[in-house]
Amino acid sequence: MDSKSFSGPVAYQGSKGFSQQQVRNANATGFGAAADDYMERGIDLNEELIRNKPATYFFRMKGDAMKEAGIFNGDVLVVDRSVPLANGKVIVAVLNGELLVRRFQKNFSSAFLIPENSRYKAINLAEFSDFTVWGVVTYTIHQQS
Amino acid sequence: MKAIVDCNNFYCSCERLFQPKLEGKPVVVLSNNDGCVISRSDEAKVLGISMGVPLFEVRSLLRAQQVATFSSNYALYGDCSWRVMEVLRDILGKERVEVYSVDEAFLELDELGTEELEKLALSIRNQVEQWTGIRVSIGIGPTKTLAKLANRLAKKNKAATNCVMVLSTELEIEEALRRTAVADLWGIGRRYGKQLRERWGIYDGWQLSQVSETFATKYLGGVVGIRLVRELKGIPSREMEDERTQKKMIATTRMFGRKVYDLQEIREAVATYTARAAEKLRRQFSAAGYLSVFIISHAPGQRHGMAYDSHCTLDKPSADSSVLIHAALELVNAIFKPGLVYKKAGVVLGDIVPESARQGSLFDANSSNDNVPLMLAIDNINFSCPPAHQPQHDSILRFAASGTNRGWKMKQEFRSPRYTTKWAEMRKVR
Repeated sequence: MDSKSFSGPVAYQGSKGFSQQQVRNANATGFGAAADDYMERGIDLNEELIRNKPATYFFRMKGDAMKEAGIFNGDVLVVDRSVPLANGKVIVAVLNGELLVRRFQKNFSSAFLIPENSRYKAINLAEFSDFTVWGVVTYTIHQQS
Repeated sequence: MKAIVDCNNFYCSCERLFQPKLEGKPVVVLSNNDGCVISRSDEAKVLGISMGVPLFEVRSLLRAQQVATFSSNYALYGDCSWRVMEVLRDILGKERVEVYSVDEAFLELDELGTEELEKLALSIRNQVEQWTGIRVSIGIGPTKTLAKLANRLAKKNKAATNCVMVLSTELEIEEALRRTAVADLWGIGRRYGKQLRERWGIYDGWQLSQVSETFATKYLGGVVGIRLVRELKGIPSREMEDERTQKKMIATTRMFGRKVYDLQEIREAVATYTARAAEKLRRQFSAAGYLSVFIISHAPGQRHGMAYDSHCTLDKPSADSSVLIHAALELVNAIFKPGLVYKKAGVVLGDIVPESARQGSLFDANSSNDNVPLMLAIDNINFSCPPAHQPQHDSILRFAASGTNRGWKMKQEFRSPRYTTKWAEMRKVR
């Protein structure tokens, strides 16, 4: 067995598992066929948005608590559970059994969940005993109106 | 060394992942058609809700104790299962992972000391939970049977074992076998266990592991018995199986969502089940030479109704839905008795051969009259565009025989959203 299995979480090695689009070709019978040598697979959004497929889940934003971070009502959140929690990350948090999207901020003595909307209050995590991180938001998908 | 990774209360855990407020609360998941309880959280087990109990027997208990109750959401469980297995394949390499069921996998591990195996198991367990959100327990032993035993012991005392247990030294194995009743060993079961106790005075796993091979051949079912005894002795005798082994028989059976009286409705149900079975058949690139159909009537006051069945052999093995549906419907017409109430139907395909090895019949003028390309096209469309707002087993393209109304369909009153497979049903967060 490789030594990597002992070292705890590492980057996802597996295949992305998305079905390959067919490489298109000019389908020309004449000299056009030369261009086929330069055809490539089209850009696949999954490659960019999903780094670790078995650890990535989608959520949908409801409400405007994060609008100043550019996350709006109805946006899709790409959440990767394998990304470690770090200061300043936008996360899906579990607080009192509820799921919340906020920015995680901590200093030397305390930790907060910060909304990105002045109408909402920051949450001091010292006041809650059952806070856990569901996952880290890595991308959001927004439809332009 | 072999390991078994087993998801804890799998279906309940999948539901909880998207409803964290159910953490620490009793949860149960019901079988197809909301018939009986098939998954229970630890809290529900404490309430005395037993595995497989019919819903009507525990309905008032569930309500009184505010047990969160779900219909099976196979789209969700299937997706979570894939994630767990994929993380295991990612850690160990896919040739070391054998998917055994939706929530269990065997792993092939190197020969290491107890402590190192424990460390490895813990890191696997943590990574699966971190990445997928599903908790697993892991048992490790020199054979699959002993790994299963280790897992059982780990689950029995989650707090002390951290859901991980290794049986690697002779002493550890003996001790574990001594405190396990024979009926609790993998592959024995209650009835066989009783026989071992009453006829041979074999009560625990250790006693069974000490019998001679002559005894096992003679009284424990021949090769199966020898294999079992060897496994208990720590000699691997159930090898890793290739998960893509082709099924020798494919069955699709369901309870109807309500009572059905009408031949036409039963024909539609059987046609639908046949189409699904044929789809499974094509997915493994096989054809079936045998088909049987059964319908079960409902007798008031009785738990089991009467079964009516019939079967036929096809002229040549086929994977063509229209051929199979045609045969199935003829059987239905023959077994249907008017005036009865029906509650269940099923289709079984047998004599399964690989598509490529299929032999045409001697007098078959047109040996390629199966519509295989058409069938594959149908499967592709049904697989790639599932209808957005319809229950999970409906397909976009269907055979006309399966009807359009489908009053007989499954009952799923408490199904949660298909969070991971439908755009419209994603979990919302604030």
